Amino acid sequence: MSLGLYLHVPFCTSICNYCNFNRGLFDQEVKGRYVDALAEEIRVAGDGSPADTIFFGGGTPSLLDPPEVARLIARCRSGFDVPLDAEVTLEANPETLTLERLTGFREAGVTRLSVGVQSLQDGELHRLGRLHSAAKAREALAAARRAGFGNVSLDLMMWLPKQTVADWMTSVDEAAALGPDHLSLYLLELYPNAPLRDEMARRQWSLAPDDDAAEMYLMALERLDRAGYRQYEISNVARPGCEARHNLKYWSDGEWLGFGCGAHSTRRGVRWKNRSATEEYIAAVRGGGPLRTEERHLTAEERLEEALFTGLRLTAGVDRTAFALRYGVDPWERYGEALEPFVDQGLLVHGEGHVRLTREGMLLSHEIMVVFIGRAVR
Amino acid sequence: MDPRYIRNFSIIAHIDHGKSTLADRFLEITGALQPREMEAQVLDAMDLERERGITIKAHPVRLNYTAADGSAYVLNLIDTPGHVDFGYEVTRSLAACEGALLLVDASQGVEAQTLANAYLAVDHNLEIVPVINKIDLPGAQPDECRRQIHDVIGLDGDSAMLTSAKEGTGTREVLEAVIERIHPPQGQPDAPLKALVFDSWYDAYRGVVIVVRVIDGSLRKGVKIRLMATGQDYEVDELGVFSPKASPVDELGVGEVGFVVANIKRVADARIGDTMTETARPTPEPFPGFKELKPMVFAGLYPVEGHQYPELREALEKLRLNDASFFYEPETSAALGFGFRCGFLGLLHMEIVQERLEREFNVDLITTAPGVLYRVATTDGEVIEIDSPAKLPDAGRITRIEEPVISATILTPAEHVGAVLQLCQEKRGVQKKLEFMKSDRVLVTYEMPFNEVVLDFYDRLKTVSRGYASLDYHVVGYWESPLVKMDILVNGEPVDALSVIVHRDAAYERGRTLATKMRELIPRQMFEVAIQAAIGNRVIARESVKALRKNVLAKCYGGDITRKRKLLEKQKEGKRRMKRVGRVEIPQEAFLAVLKVGAE
Repeated sequence: MSLGLYLHVPFCTSICNYCNFNRGLFDQEVKGRYVDALAEEIRVAGDGSPADTIFFGGGTPSLLDPPEVARLIARCRSGFDVPLDAEVTLEANPETLTLERLTGFREAGVTRLSVGVQSLQDGELHRLGRLHSAAKAREALAAARRAGFGNVSLDLMMWLPKQTVADWMTSVDEAAALGPDHLSLYLLELYPNAPLRDEMARRQWSLAPDDDAAEMYLMALERLDRAGYRQYEISNVARPGCEARHNLKYWSDGEWLGFGCGAHSTRRGVRWKNRSATEEYIAAVRGGGPLRTEERHLTAEERLEEALFTGLRLTAGVDRTAFALRYGVDPWERYGEALEPFVDQGLLVHGEGHVRLTREGMLLSHEIMVVFIGRAVR
Repeated sequence: MDPRYIRNFSIIAHIDHGKSTLADRFLEITGALQPREMEAQVLDAMDLERERGITIKAHPVRLNYTAADGSAYVLNLIDTPGHVDFGYEVTRSLAACEGALLLVDASQGVEAQTLANAYLAVDHNLEIVPVINKIDLPGAQPDECRRQIHDVIGLDGDSAMLTSAKEGTGTREVLEAVIERIHPPQGQPDAPLKALVFDSWYDAYRGVVIVVRVIDGSLRKGVKIRLMATGQDYEVDELGVFSPKASPVDELGVGEVGFVVANIKRVADARIGDTMTETARPTPEPFPGFKELKPMVFAGLYPVEGHQYPELREALEKLRLNDASFFYEPETSAALGFGFRCGFLGLLHMEIVQERLEREFNVDLITTAPGVLYRVATTDGEVIEIDSPAKLPDAGRITRIEEPVISATILTPAEHVGAVLQLCQEKRGVQKKLEFMKSDRVLVTYEMPFNEVVLDFYDRLKTVSRGYASLDYHVVGYWESPLVKMDILVNGEPVDALSVIVHRDAAYERGRTLATKMRELIPRQMFEVAIQAAIGNRVIARESVKALRKNVLAKCYGGDITRKRKLLEKQKEGKRRMKRVGRVEIPQEAFLAVLKVGAE
């Protein structure tokens, strides 16, 4: 099985009020040293293993300059066995994209662009503190096509402050009309100290009721079905053949190596995380202390549990035969009794070949997957 | 010791009127403790007492005082519990005294409890010395207090002493008044031993420590004594006085107060109010007025974590060793699992036990709604006592239910009397007396169901009177009442821990409030949850919690599967802490909320 390679780029031109990812403000000087460190980490890790996806995630990876992207991809190719048709994704924010830069990224070897559009309503974008407008997002997408990107994804967020079901569906329609190859639909998750929470309280912005959020999710997926997109994971739809191969590794019990600060890796039953702070990471790569901060050796039991709660995120669900071959137990035999009530409620489907969630089940997946949690971590 | 130089007195006061501070001053003046030994309010020994500013156990302290006339006196200060739950202990403590200081806060005036205890003291023929305390406060109105002492209690207000215990003003004069105005004890030194037990507690090293006041005869080490309520005999191992530290003595004679250790294992064997006598020469008549204390308020106590059940049982055993008025027996609830039905003297007693269990024994508790002891007559002609809604027989088997009735004495400023009367009526009270006193105060006496007090009467009284009305009560008997058991059903299944016995007329309102409260507290589940309040088969209120539709972690944090697992673990832990009834998960707060219903 081929590896996925994840490269974390922790820089942003502004900090969004809802985002909890590992990121900081852009600094040209730090960026230079950081890219050097990334290249060095990849060089050291390179063992010639096959790797068929590369993913630049962030932060805002499109803040890198095309030559830097080219250099990092080249480093991946020299350290690992990367086929010519590898999927190379770059996450990008619309305001960072010009035709010139896009062309540069394309030439650097990026094959897939994932654009953080979030919304096509200026009011919503403003409330999220995003730097781009809906017009800028449209422009960026058109430019990506002109630059030759045949695989473009866009992110949309639902259940935004003040957003109604109708507002959301307008964004969905407009997004579909732009004709991307792939869409990610996320529900806004407000982490406990998100500045957006304070802002919402101060300005009396409210969220639509929970039930509306469920409607947003179901209605959007139906609309996209009709527009020719196929849901393949809880939050992702794609034109057939355009599924994100890199992300699929996360959900299908795959292996990946994460490079950069705070990047997560999973390989041979071990999950670990790199140091989060950018400077500490750079220092660690240069030989100043350990790079890995959290390392978890999965027990056989944990591997099995995690294969299930990640696998059920896919619309295809978990292949019972493949699972039994790998873990020596049929998931339905093991968890069927606990899962039966969900089947009765139309949240879960099980047949000879598969166990999978329905869309209603996906909306309640956090309730259902608890079934698979046996032992606590640490 | 010559009884002429002994004075036995107690201080009766409303909570917060400064009793403990005054007692501390006495200790200081008499040199019983050096200032550096003074911890604020020495007498309230338990942490709980100090924190709440109340006295739970009565502690006697022996003060050696040289009076202005040059003679050396022994003053025994017998502290009394300051709460209505411990009313019986108050009467026993008063029975050990010849006089009492009646302490009134100069800014608050006479309160219902002051009044009730003053009457008790009068009943015991005690000489009462009124003391107006806190005269240093800006709001002090000593003249108004004198008037109230005269008008409301009927004592000579002009003879009241003025003090500020906090600043030490007037406290020595109070001790002089104790000597002048309170009679020395009278008893027959040669008569057979007769001593009143007015407190007892369990000490891990010495067994039960009994506090006595010698009426007749004398008590010596090594002598065989008998506790007359049980008829058990013991040998006196240790004899002493509290000054305030325990110090041994050879003998306790007429009028003296001290402690006895006699290898007694359980406080239940040395009950407050019992008479101690000599085995060889018993007194022909025990001290009158002994009664066995019965718990009046009952509630279920359950460990939050089921596996803490053995710890809870052990803790209850230990508490019971030291508290004969507290009762418990195992009880099982479908909703809460294994726990105990516990009986208490009153709500404060219940709170104290709860707090001690949580604090000293480290057991987290769920407490079910407290109720009183009902008497139920059945079609079989039996009369049974019911301490839990679960034990109520089927409606068809019941011919009659009686509930305990209290006599409530309420003292309120005249401006709030309308609201107070309205509240008493609402609480099914029957007016017995309405007395407009001078000093703009009204004395209201009602008979009303004890259960209403247990529910929320006191809080409501404070609210309608803006905190000014005060309450004292005691149980006077039982009356018949149309009571019904109301169940709360969750998805058709009764949640036993939420059942309550209520008056038929109040059931509808209570049921609706409870159902609404439950709807707010039960989180949305994977299916719709129906909440019903029902009497028998008749549903009187219903609510529903709509099915949960969304709980999903949409975002992928760059392959951070560990985070997903941790969030799922958190979710699982949250579920584990809930109690399951059928398929419905009910959070603990829901059980606690029942206690609050009615208070709003």
